[in-house]
Amino acid sequence: MPDIKITPLGAGQDVGRSCILVSIGGKNIMLDCGMHMGYNDDRRFPDFSYITQNGRLTEFLDCVIISHFHLDHCGALPYMSEMVGYDGPIYMTHPTKAICPILLEDFRKITVDKKGETNFFTSQMIKDCMKKVVPLNLHQTVQVDEELEIKAYYAGHVLGAAMVQIKVGLESVVYTGDYNMTPDRHLGAAWIDKCRPDILISESTYATTIRDSKRCRERDFLKKVHETVERGGKVLIPVFALGRAQELCILLETFWERMNLKAPIYFSTGLTEKANHYYKLFITWTNQKIRKTFVQRNMFEFKHIKAFDRSYADNPGPMVVFATPGMLHAGQSLQIFKKWAGNEKNMVIMPGYCVQGTVGHKILNGQKKLEMEGRATLDVKLQVEYMSFSAHADAKGIMQLIRMAEPRNMLLVHGEAKKMEFLKDKIEQEFSISCYMPANGETTTIVTNPSVPVDISLNLLKREMALGGPLPDAKRPRTMHGTLIMKDNSLRLVSPEQALKELGLSEHQLRFTCRVQLHDPHSDTDTLGRIYTHLKSVLKSYSIQHVPDGTVIVESIVIKVTSSAEEPNLKVILLSWSYQDEELGSFLSTLLKKGLPS
Amino acid sequence: MDISSDEAEDWFMESLNTYKDLHVFQLEHPTKVIEWTGDKCICVAGYTGARSEILELLLPLKLYAGENQGLCAERDFKVQHGGFSEEPVESLIHIPGTRCVVTTGSSSSALQIWDIGGDDSDVIKRTGVINLKSKSSKGSKIAPGLTDEPAVLHGSCISEVQLTEIATGRVLYTVAKESSDSVSGLQFVNACVFLICASNGTLLMGDTRDPSTCHYPLQDSKSGLHWSFGLRSDRSQSEPSCCTVARLSSSGHMLLSDLRDLQSPFCQTQLNVQHSTSKNDFLNVSWAPVLDRCLSVSGFDGTVHIYNTMDWSTEGQNPQPVFSHRGHEMSHEAKYSGSPPVVTTHSWHQSRPKTLLSAATDGSLHVWDWLDKITDR
Repeated sequence: MPDIKITPLGAGQDVGRSCILVSIGGKNIMLDCGMHMGYNDDRRFPDFSYITQNGRLTEFLDCVIISHFHLDHCGALPYMSEMVGYDGPIYMTHPTKAICPILLEDFRKITVDKKGETNFFTSQMIKDCMKKVVPLNLHQTVQVDEELEIKAYYAGHVLGAAMVQIKVGLESVVYTGDYNMTPDRHLGAAWIDKCRPDILISESTYATTIRDSKRCRERDFLKKVHETVERGGKVLIPVFALGRAQELCILLETFWERMNLKAPIYFSTGLTEKANHYYKLFITWTNQKIRKTFVQRNMFEFKHIKAFDRSYADNPGPMVVFATPGMLHAGQSLQIFKKWAGNEKNMVIMPGYCVQGTVGHKILNGQKKLEMEGRATLDVKLQVEYMSFSAHADAKGIMQLIRMAEPRNMLLVHGEAKKMEFLKDKIEQEFSISCYMPANGETTTIVTNPSVPVDISLNLLKREMALGGPLPDAKRPRTMHGTLIMKDNSLRLVSPEQALKELGLSEHQLRFTCRVQLHDPHSDTDTLGRIYTHLKSVLKSYSIQHVPDGTVIVESIVIKVTSSAEEPNLKVILLSWSYQDEELGSFLSTLLKKGLPS
Repeated sequence: MDISSDEAEDWFMESLNTYKDLHVFQLEHPTKVIEWTGDKCICVAGYTGARSEILELLLPLKLYAGENQGLCAERDFKVQHGGFSEEPVESLIHIPGTRCVVTTGSSSSALQIWDIGGDDSDVIKRTGVINLKSKSSKGSKIAPGLTDEPAVLHGSCISEVQLTEIATGRVLYTVAKESSDSVSGLQFVNACVFLICASNGTLLMGDTRDPSTCHYPLQDSKSGLHWSFGLRSDRSQSEPSCCTVARLSSSGHMLLSDLRDLQSPFCQTQLNVQHSTSKNDFLNVSWAPVLDRCLSVSGFDGTVHIYNTMDWSTEGQNPQPVFSHRGHEMSHEAKYSGSPPVVTTHSWHQSRPKTLLSAATDGSLHVWDWLDKITDR
């Protein structure tokens, strides 16, 4: 039976290492290749030994697809392609292709330079890996090879995030990556058509949560900034240039305008350049509606936000500064942090996840004393705020997506089965589909039942109907004869004559002739007449004709009687029939061999 | 009254000064119950649609992070356990000291008993029913017994009120009073003494050791009004004398009585609210568990009002609330339901003095911590 196999790779149930293997229609696809940020050793990489014990992965995989640029979805990609070995195509959207290498390089620098690790990919490996990337556009079907095709859909979540449909023949799988169903200021909600995949694969991480509204998260952010500025403190917001920064700037700008606040807001220059780049990527990525609202206001002309200069960090009084990099691991944001950390009136707001080894990670773990270069210690007295703005679908969102795509089966990864039974029941009851929850390393096999469409020629249909007898009963099968032609990905059922014509072959007729000897004192004509009478009484339902030219015809079988002049009582009955009437012909010859009744 | 997006925006901006914390959630289906099942967990349940979900939700961890609140980014509810009910859930109560909840439907002839479950499974399972003698079309009201052996006090009209032991189904006590008045609410004051409030405002006080009950009808009861009640008991003492009863009518009339003298309320006042003509009994009056003499009111519209009754004289008129939560109106999204939302229920946090939870007809669920303009600055 045709089936689709799905295996989430890696040991442990934790979130943070998305890498899913799909086998469909004889093709093998890897979905995402993420790094687990919690481990320092090989446990952070997906377990590729499932694919092959040793050696390169190229011949075992038809393609790799990356859903978006977050490290838990693409962090292990250069390791997989350059250190384990894979030379086939890697598909991702244009923005993901632009942003991935930047994040990977940052990540590499932190891990190797800061933490001094050795078994890690190099800058060159990142470049070599990206050379294998084939960019995808939304809603565009891409032929990976003759049989495998993929299509990207808008997922929301972050710039460039996509949900992917993988199709071989009539079997298909949709993988969601990370997505959200409630639109926010600059990223719309995920959307997919009623593509009815055999399986819909989704993360279950947030499936059992109910998300607080975006408005309330923003409110919290504004409140904290306002409180700090009111008491004369300084607020540092380390950002990764391509993402949250613009949104937070617009939020602050509107707030400052409304509350008539005077404290300065700065945006470090490195950000402006990268933001331009981001803006261009963004504008081609989003849909019409969002593009319009963004184009209406120029992203870099903020009334209240100005370019930052290093020296401003020492200015007295309140201020807000957006600076890179986002995890406080180097550069300007770290420099500013060092200056401001000692004052409890100040605040640092971390808008996202920080990788282990960075200052960001340490302060988010509550560390109050940090070791800097040259054995200097830094006292962390300023207020540390961790805010999460990333958009994820929750329990309600998953139901909405299933409603949209109408899959035949559902598969949830990265969840603990006993904590997901309610969700599984809910999905199964509401949609009458099966819901699977494999553990990492466990394979789920889903039997599909693809229908194979065959065109039937009109002539053949007409002929079958003209055969007479009772009309076909819809509930009872009836044998039908035809020729199946498989050509150019289509299947057609035609009459043999038409098939021969299309193939340019001529039809051959096979005829059998048999002689039966009979002792009969009558004349040839009379003998024939007696044969006719005899056959008529035996074969009541057949068409038997006595033709004046001296033949008896039963269906297609021709019977003649001859005798020689020397022995007029020894009659020779000549029977001739075509191959199709073999059975009847044999029957007649056997019957006549027994002689005629007197 | 449609809220424009500007007005909503204004309200959100104002909220920076008026709330310490604010969380806005959207449930898939609206709930009319919020019941605490632990320090950090509540149960909610659907009442629209044939098949309803019962959910046990863990409150956002950020609320409990204390001094480290800044380091906790967790603002979401976590669904700890979930189950399915074959009928819409009208009431839900938790039996203290257990993992058991009891629910009623709008016209069912039985009470449903559920086990919320522990760590090994996230499914809420039905473990039994208590069949009711009467098949009245009005649903039963329920309240947990406060004895060691889990029991539930229930009834849809006064003469049918009884106390049933959950494990065995044994009837432990029946009210002897002949009265077809429908029950609006009931609650135990201590292990034996209980209070029943009828829809017409009449109060009944009883003791499970004694079949007779004391009956306190309203002085001048106006027909057509529906009454709800809220009991404040000082947990440190189980003497009935420390209890205050608030009765609220669908026209906003409020009566405060002391359990020692239920005949004459010590305070009467008229709240400045819209008369509620809804058939649904969303009317809710609750006493704050920590703040002294504060009570909250909801069910008239999309607002929860908080009053400080210390300021009320014996015959006050139109007292002003110390705080009004308009969040449900302001964050209402028309896509979830056309008409403006009405608050279906609200509940105070058991230990945080100014934290409340409220739910509305559009499926919204809010957790909010308000700032007293006078005292918090």
